[in-house]
Amino acid sequence: MTSAPWLAPRIALSQQRERVLTLLSFLLPLLVWAAVSYTPFIWHPNMEITEPGSVNYFQEGMQIERETFQEEYNTQLEAGGELPQGFRANPVYLPAPHEVAIAFYTSFTTEPRRRSEQWLHESLWHSIQIIFWGFTLSSILGVPLGILSGTFAAVSRLHEPFIEFFRYLPAPAFGALAVAILGIYDGPKIAIIFIGTFFQQVLVISNTTRKLDIALLEAALTLGANRRQLLFKVVIPGVLPQLYKDQRILLGWAWTYLIVAELIGTSSGITWFITQQARYQNFDNVFAAIMMIGIIGLLSDLLLARLGKRLFPWERSSNKS
Amino acid sequence: MQRCNLTSRVIVFVVLTLSLASPSQAAAETLFVGYSDWPGWVAWEVAVEKDWFAEAGVDVQFEWFDYAASMEAFAAGQLDAVTMTNGDALVTGSTGAQSVMIIIGDYSNGNDMVVAAPGIKSVSELRGKRVGVEIGFVSHLLLLDALESVGLTEADVELVNVPTNETPQVLASRDVDAIVAWQPNSGQSLSRVPGSTAVYTSGDQPGLIYDVLAVSPRSLYANREEWSKVVDVWYRVVDYILDPATVDDALSIMSARVGLSPEEYAPLLAGTRLLRREEAKGLYQETEGFDSLHGSTSISNDFNLRYEVYRDPQDLEAYIDSSFTLGK
Repeated sequence: MTSAPWLAPRIALSQQRERVLTLLSFLLPLLVWAAVSYTPFIWHPNMEITEPGSVNYFQEGMQIERETFQEEYNTQLEAGGELPQGFRANPVYLPAPHEVAIAFYTSFTTEPRRRSEQWLHESLWHSIQIIFWGFTLSSILGVPLGILSGTFAAVSRLHEPFIEFFRYLPAPAFGALAVAILGIYDGPKIAIIFIGTFFQQVLVISNTTRKLDIALLEAALTLGANRRQLLFKVVIPGVLPQLYKDQRILLGWAWTYLIVAELIGTSSGITWFITQQARYQNFDNVFAAIMMIGIIGLLSDLLLARLGKRLFPWERSSNKS
Repeated sequence: MQRCNLTSRVIVFVVLTLSLASPSQAAAETLFVGYSDWPGWVAWEVAVEKDWFAEAGVDVQFEWFDYAASMEAFAAGQLDAVTMTNGDALVTGSTGAQSVMIIIGDYSNGNDMVVAAPGIKSVSELRGKRVGVEIGFVSHLLLLDALESVGLTEADVELVNVPTNETPQVLASRDVDAIVAWQPNSGQSLSRVPGSTAVYTSGDQPGLIYDVLAVSPRSLYANREEWSKVVDVWYRVVDYILDPATVDDALSIMSARVGLSPEEYAPLLAGTRLLRREEAKGLYQETEGFDSLHGSTSISNDFNLRYEVYRDPQDLEAYIDSSFTLGK
């Protein structure tokens, strides 16, 4: 490892280097965030007032743009009034890392104050179920359709032009219709995840299927395979590892629809938490909730990647090691 | 092909909904009410938390929504009743979901505001300026009323459609010169943008915005007895909140609903004028002005027609049922 250069095209890194870089990939953005938050001369466009002085509309704890603060300061200086005091601050929309870390912890430990209220982990679990059902339903229809479209040109022609059109339609715009048909609870939310995932899914998977080496199909046909055998003995086993990877990416796609989906119908899940906290400007809680979604997404993907290695041990990385 | 595709989806969804949302199917007698974040509606939480509906012998299920989503769900026929303003009841009704207002819960007494950026100190200075407002709904009405009070019309300002809960950020961005919002967003706009002024509030025109419980005519016809019990529970709630001996308990329940502390919530309640039964009775007279539900709703109707929020005048008689408050 001592001699290998860091930037060698498509050569796998040593395990140690891999670990260091993985850590760095998280540390670098965190460092930028910390720098913006903790160094007063980077950004910090506002002044938080500690002493209002003689400025009549200033209040302790109020945030104000630096320029305005300076103007008022100068005015008081000339007029000989009491000078306002304050320190540079970022807008409330950008909390500092430690604030978010504290909010992350306390939001889980805060007891529900009403009987009908849920713990945060219960809200999160509710959101996960919405994703699960939306994605599962989408897969039940989308995966077979994608494989068929990728295998048979006729099936592809019958579906793909319309799907190409439909995938550009904004899923949330179907919210009102979904509520009218499916009620106010989880039905319309799952429907939005479905609409957001399904159309991409069919296209991605049919594309993957089409990439299967045609020599395999020709060989099977030469050996007398019928259509059914071709599909189940050649195509599906052939595309399975890549299909699994596609599904992992599509699951991430489904997550991105969660917030718009949960805004439809009754307020529920993690979105209820985020919107309610944002309404009352508790952005540390909002960021904490956003982190939770990220962490859940990342962990589930890591888990699935592990599982993938078990399921498809013959599938090697495309880097040389 | 398109149809086949859609049909298969719909079938799956219907099966799914039956399994997930069975409550709405199973219990036909439950009354479903949508409510949202406004002090006069959060007040219902007191009854929910204290089981007063069960005590009164009526099965009511309150569901929490974003305001716009609650009206949408009501319009889609998924709710028996929804909390909204009298003006928005007309707007929702114009799209086909007519409702009957059976409770005048409160009127906004300062909570709804036109907040102008620093430098603008009066409504007349808004001429030629950009105003962020949720077009077509209650804030829009307040803005039109404000403009009219100084002889301006909508044509004199440039409207920017902004969801009410984003107004504080939008005003802070300085992309608009004023916003229209109700609490908590109006108060936050004021504190986020120091030097900004509430140039016009619902306190300037009490009765412009009545907050009501609006019931679907079908449910009202089928469950008159039940709704009557709901109304009785409502006045119990109002008395509880207005009683100095119990207001603290009420505040702690209400603030918990929206995730605030009772101290933070108290000022929001102050700009909401809750109405006891005796006070509400007086608002059912048929006057011309803002001092009655009839007059206020009629003015909203005229506004909405003039500014083409909708095109056909609404039959106001069908929207108001005073019998629940006035007594049988």
